[in-house]
Amino acid sequence: MIDLHPLKLELVERIGWLIRLRWVAAAGTLAGIAIARLVEPALPVLPLVLITGTIVFYNALFLLYARYLWRRRGTGLRRRRSPIFVAVQIVCDLLALTALLHFSGGIENPFGVFLLFHVIIASILLPRLASFGVALLASVLYAGLAFSELAGWLPHVHLPQLADPRRYMNMTYVAAHVTAVILTLWLAAAMASSVAERLRRRTQELLQANQVCEINRSELAEMNERLRQLDAARTQFIVMVAHELRAPMGAIISALNLVLGGYAPPEKQREVLERAQARAYELLDLIRDLLELVRARRIEGPTQGVPVRAEKVLENVLGLLRVEAESKGLSIEVHIAPDLPSVLATEDSLRSIWTNLISNAIKYNRPGGRVTITLNRDGDRVVGSVEDTGIGIAREDMPRLFEEFFRSEQAKAMVQRGTGVGLAIVKRTVEGYGGRVWVESELGKGSKFSFALPMAPDEHATPSPDEIQKPSQA
Amino acid sequence: MASKGKVLVIDDDPDFCEFMRIGLEADGFEVLTAATGKLGLELMRREKPNLVFLDVVMAHPTEGVDVTAAIKEDPELWDIPIIMLTSIMDTEYIGHFPTDRPLPVDQFLTKPVPMAEVLRIANETVGAKS
Repeated sequence: MIDLHPLKLELVERIGWLIRLRWVAAAGTLAGIAIARLVEPALPVLPLVLITGTIVFYNALFLLYARYLWRRRGTGLRRRRSPIFVAVQIVCDLLALTALLHFSGGIENPFGVFLLFHVIIASILLPRLASFGVALLASVLYAGLAFSELAGWLPHVHLPQLADPRRYMNMTYVAAHVTAVILTLWLAAAMASSVAERLRRRTQELLQANQVCEINRSELAEMNERLRQLDAARTQFIVMVAHELRAPMGAIISALNLVLGGYAPPEKQREVLERAQARAYELLDLIRDLLELVRARRIEGPTQGVPVRAEKVLENVLGLLRVEAESKGLSIEVHIAPDLPSVLATEDSLRSIWTNLISNAIKYNRPGGRVTITLNRDGDRVVGSVEDTGIGIAREDMPRLFEEFFRSEQAKAMVQRGTGVGLAIVKRTVEGYGGRVWVESELGKGSKFSFALPMAPDEHATPSPDEIQKPSQA
Repeated sequence: MASKGKVLVIDDDPDFCEFMRIGLEADGFEVLTAATGKLGLELMRREKPNLVFLDVVMAHPTEGVDVTAAIKEDPELWDIPIIMLTSIMDTEYIGHFPTDRPLPVDQFLTKPVPMAEVLRIANETVGAKS
């Protein structure tokens, strides 16, 4: 926020200008009196000098008060009191000018038009209504002076050198003159304040536009910082990917160099090439997993999903993985709650979740162990879990488990090759659809990986179409 | 055929260790392999190899460097020539290399190293020592 409104600040600065102007006006008045006295010996000098002295006196008081306000900078006092202070000064000046006019010929004195300055100053510095107030006061004072002298309520100082003595006594002339002056004052107030008002509005708009720019700038800076962090994360990811791709590629090149250069004895050549082939497959697996990971990273919320039946996808995946499990002597138990709603995801991503979790449970299980798969409903979510009786996860590895390319020492010892991307894919996919992944594990005893996915809307209680058909088929 | 000398390969990639073994053994060297820096140091103390090929980045980015630091503190291992193997990608770990003290490393090689180069170095180094 801006500390002191620039428009108000301008008013504060104008107070100093107004006070300086008054010194000049007072000096001018004294000079004027001296010159006028030469021309018009009838001019009463004493009251005029006394009034000028009064102006000098109250201007000195104004100066002291202005300095006091200036010292109270930042308290808000200056801002609150400045408009009133300006108004008080203008009122004092109007009274002083009227008194000066009274002692220098009243309506006969051509300097009566000086009232106009006060109206214009008020129009520039004060709100529109205040400038009309000043115009009104000036009108009342001038008309009051003219008619009071006409009516004889106030003594008239006649200036014989300047005007015909009958002028101030001529009712028609006084009325016409006063009307002209009043109209001039009001029109001046209307015009000047309208221009000033428009200027003020423009300045206000500019200030607001400036503020908006300022806000936009900070938003942009924030966004820039977020993008910078994203970019840094992406660079880090590329570096990690390059590291992971390099190892198998280096091994393959070493193998080919060994065989092609004739450094491997004939009986070893097949082994070397088989190892190279395994690394090439590893490379292919890694590329496949990386593509899947990139796909998972692109998911941006449940809206990108469609209703999918998690248990159907599970059946398909189990059909493919059962052979691998049986070859290891593992038993697979599946518990699926009845009447499960669909989840919001895609069939591909659900297949990827199940495949990664179940193949991990098979890979890192002990021979003859068990894999238990459950699928339940929990509120508006569907929770799936895969539990194994395998190597388990060390407590210190838990925080890094879902990181890309992380593999625990136990996992490396048990299964040499692995991309370290599977669990990262699961996490990114599930969280991408607005779900959650968690793990419970004990080192050496086994692990249980669970995920919760939001269920598809409008399916809270509706059975699927084939379930509706079932009774009619029976 | 009598062994030309004992060569230790410290690298966490079992395929790489195996390929080094096959190539060096075919040339008449006796080859020991270790998958970690710790195992490598144990083997060095026990077997006193004539030459060590040491990978820089293993489970930890500076495991190889840590091994050289341990070698420096063990007078019994001072004489063993160390050939350090780095990858181009390891350069980002360059900040981890100590600059205040010289590494007891005889040569740096960039992976993948052609077997001809490995054998040339092995023959020159071990030949000069024995």
